[in-house]
Amino acid sequence: MWTLIKHRIFQLILVVWGVGTLTFVLMRNLPGDMAYRIAASRYGQDSVDSAAAEIVRQELGLDASWWQSYAHWLTDLVQFNLGKSLVSGLPVIDTVQHQLGHSVLLAFTGVLFASLIAIAIGVLSAFRQGALDHGFLWLSTLLRSMPVFVIGLMLILIFAVAWPILPVAGFGTWQHLVLPTLALALSLAAVSNRVVRNNTLKVIRAPFYQFAAIKGLSPTQTFIQHGIRNISVPVIAFIGIQLVTVIEGIVMIESLFSWPGIGHGLAHAIFARDIPVIQGCALMMGILFVLLNTCVDLLCHWIDPRGAQS
Amino acid sequence: MTALIKVHDLTIHYQGKCLVNKVSFSVQQGRPLTILGQTGSGKTLVAKAIMGLLPSVLEASGTVEVFGKPVMAQSRSPLWGKSITMLPQEPWHSLDPLMVNYQQVSEVYESVKGEDGEAAFNHAIDDLTHLGLKGSALKRPTELSGGMAQRLAIASATAGGANLLIADEPTKGLDSSRRDDIIQLLQRSAQGGSLLTITHDIDVAQQLGGDILVIKDGEMIEAGSAESVLTNPQAEYTKALIYAAPQYWQIEKLRKTERKAILSVTDLTIGRGKDALASGLNLTCHTGEIIGVVGDSGCGKSTFGDTLLGLLPPLKGEIKPLLANTKSHQWLKLFQDPPSSLSAHVTLQTLLNDLVKLHKLDTQKIAPLMEKLNLPESILQRSAKDVSGGELQRFSILRALLLEPVFLFADEPTSRLDPFIAKEITELLIALAREQGCALLIVSHDPALIDKCCDTVIRLDQQKHKSVA
Amino acid sequence: MILQLKINQKVGVGLLLGLLLVASSIVQLSPYHIADQDLSGRLLAPSAEHWLGTDHFGRDMLTRIASAIQLSFVLSFFCVLTSATLGVSLGVITAWKGGRMALGMDVIVNILLALPGLVLVLLFAAIVPGSLLVLYLAITLTQWVEYFRVSRAITNTIINSPARQLSQMMGFGPWYQFRRHIWPELTHSILTLASFGGANAILTMASLGFVYVGIQPPLAELGLMSVELFPYYAQAPWILVQPLIAIATLVFGFHLLAGNKHDGAH
Repeated sequence: MWTLIKHRIFQLILVVWGVGTLTFVLMRNLPGDMAYRIAASRYGQDSVDSAAAEIVRQELGLDASWWQSYAHWLTDLVQFNLGKSLVSGLPVIDTVQHQLGHSVLLAFTGVLFASLIAIAIGVLSAFRQGALDHGFLWLSTLLRSMPVFVIGLMLILIFAVAWPILPVAGFGTWQHLVLPTLALALSLAAVSNRVVRNNTLKVIRAPFYQFAAIKGLSPTQTFIQHGIRNISVPVIAFIGIQLVTVIEGIVMIESLFSWPGIGHGLAHAIFARDIPVIQGCALMMGILFVLLNTCVDLLCHWIDPRGAQS
Repeated sequence: MTALIKVHDLTIHYQGKCLVNKVSFSVQQGRPLTILGQTGSGKTLVAKAIMGLLPSVLEASGTVEVFGKPVMAQSRSPLWGKSITMLPQEPWHSLDPLMVNYQQVSEVYESVKGEDGEAAFNHAIDDLTHLGLKGSALKRPTELSGGMAQRLAIASATAGGANLLIADEPTKGLDSSRRDDIIQLLQRSAQGGSLLTITHDIDVAQQLGGDILVIKDGEMIEAGSAESVLTNPQAEYTKALIYAAPQYWQIEKLRKTERKAILSVTDLTIGRGKDALASGLNLTCHTGEIIGVVGDSGCGKSTFGDTLLGLLPPLKGEIKPLLANTKSHQWLKLFQDPPSSLSAHVTLQTLLNDLVKLHKLDTQKIAPLMEKLNLPESILQRSAKDVSGGELQRFSILRALLLEPVFLFADEPTSRLDPFIAKEITELLIALAREQGCALLIVSHDPALIDKCCDTVIRLDQQKHKSVA
Repeated sequence: MILQLKINQKVGVGLLLGLLLVASSIVQLSPYHIADQDLSGRLLAPSAEHWLGTDHFGRDMLTRIASAIQLSFVLSFFCVLTSATLGVSLGVITAWKGGRMALGMDVIVNILLALPGLVLVLLFAAIVPGSLLVLYLAITLTQWVEYFRVSRAITNTIINSPARQLSQMMGFGPWYQFRRHIWPELTHSILTLASFGGANAILTMASLGFVYVGIQPPLAELGLMSVELFPYYAQAPWILVQPLIAIATLVFGFHLLAGNKHDGAH
């Protein structure tokens, strides 16, 4: 388990380095005076003049070689000096913290609902083969072909045009959470319900499952004592694989539903070329990704301690 | 004597093909029955039919009486664990990989016998202690050896108190000493009830005693008490089956005058990675000599062969080739599992052509060698996945011999094959190796086979690393 | 090499080829250009003149959709080709040679896996906005890792297989061992990965377009079209639906081609 956590910490360092380097390249690549832009990111767009820019130039040695300014850039990042937004002038760290909370809420409800849908449908399809299983297979295949924003758009079309009972965009009440969560959950469950189904089948056809019945256990006892845990190991591992989809889904869903989270922030910042915010948002997404992965790892380890030895 | 179970005219069909034909027998209290047959004889189907576990694509007819009452297949599951129980073929796969060992037993006491948690726990720990598994009570099945897993499977299968224990190939893949342990344990577990064992192993049938039923291609060939069937078999098939065991093989020993030394081994220590498996090994190989290596699994038999071939580095000591002008492709290996040692993506003909092209071999030699190996020409048009294990192993021998090897390491070459085929292949291999003057190193877990075939025997023991010439 | 495709995989191939063929012929034969505006004929319903109607600038939807589908195919084709070639060759070589190279590759793979693919592509798109080349490079960069990991794992097992060991003992060289033992085992997984990779490249480009950081207007791109047409969902739902259906059909085709073994990928 210790190696597991060490691996994740290593990954966290890589995230910080990767995001820092890419935004640095972005910074150097933009047209115009870099010192002016950094000054703006520190003191706010309105209070910048050429004197302030000159101070930055001196301090960071921007006329010096690129690697010196690169070192400065990374040092700032390690100290969590994320600067101020070029657009709003607000400190990035505050904005990003706020957004992170909203994104975590969306990610959590999305994964939760996806799991509920996927487990119910998956187990049902495994135990009731035939037409029902086939129907869900086709439904899943169709839904899987739609990117998450297409699912979101369809939900909007249904709930805004045909059946206006839920707010289509924005943030505030619990009703605002329903459509974004549903879009994310449907997109995730479209894949994971088949994973649940396949692994359920694999377990109930496994020799140890049959042997449990031969030992004298009733079907219910067999499922509770030997089914649930063995099915959940690969399913939780798959949720780990799906985390990429969760993070990517958050970017798209938040943009679509104007949900004030980190993905929405990132897309906006890229569009507005607001480098400090881009950096802050990308960093938070990376950290969120690593933290969620760590949770999945720990959960897997708790259910199946064998993995620790290999 | 009461019949625990009585099977009458059991017949199983699959898509019109008869797999089991009118098999009838009964198992009496206190008198074990052993069903003896080869792979594909239908013996496992018989066990599944008794349990009511046949897949629905198979059509079964005939009656099964349990304790004197006929019971339909679908209503037999309530009897599981309480009246009838069955040991699985592969104990490792039949134990829940995530469940702690003692729970696999204690859950039966809790769920089947209705004991409370503490009583069930104590009961389970008692059982494990009797089986010498107490130290592994808190471990998981993946940490057990094959023999230990089989013992745990026996404990959990019998915890529900069933009178009839059905064991399907209970000794598959076990060394001879472990095999004897399991047989004794089965006999103990079946006390007060009875035992129905399914096996291909004559030794198992002999040790269990009681009655024997021999089946072949789903037909009953012979039945009777173990003693009479084994000492005085009536059917031709039973005779052949008994005489296919290595102790009855006739193999000519090497004449000492005609041999030349090809390899010398002095004070060799072998192992994989850093751990030494055996040390102090000394040996000189000669042309046409058959060298046998025996020992329990994990003692380094295969490691020894791989080290001699140069596939693994020796940890200590010296391996010196004594023949000049041998090429590296004349030092070859014959693997245990024929299908995995040949690419299944092309025909066997292609594999043969590849070899001919690479070493510019004389194609004239192929046909006579194939004839000696009883390989039909038509087999070359198929790929490895469509050919039986025995034929594939003979094809592997063909490829090896075409390269005129000076040293051939055969790693359990027949352990996955039926005794008839094993006998044929071993005899062929030895005869051809002698003819070509190739030294043959055979590794086997079966001491009888090694004793019968080999001119020189090396015994590897886990504790003491000794070589005996 | 004979690929034995299952029936739904054949349907997938047919669907994709048909789509590509139809889209290319429309682009060639259409009297309109994707940027031809006609402000007097905005948001028209499908008619004989404009088979799929017109968008908010009066541009012909059929031409734009066809052009966008063509663009998606071109991008996904090059992404798949490059990432598969790179990933498989590095994977096989790393598994075979091991040593320092394996350690180095581990670090690179860890860096790339530390960030979700889309975030990485977004950052690249931010550096050089609207560039198809950068988009292609970024998507390839995120996709080759999967081929690398799978082909490395498979090669590792084949390296230790009796069949390959025997070939080596019998004197066959590395190229023979690759051709006879490793490549045949890889093809199936590569085909599956490539199908999903093709779908993912299309999805990524559409996602970027959808958040306005991908291909820039007036080029026709499916994600960009979806978001541009979104404000007209009440007025002209039929034009919003078109790019959505196009994306779903493309992805569906690739998923069919991959076969129904999604969870076999890990």
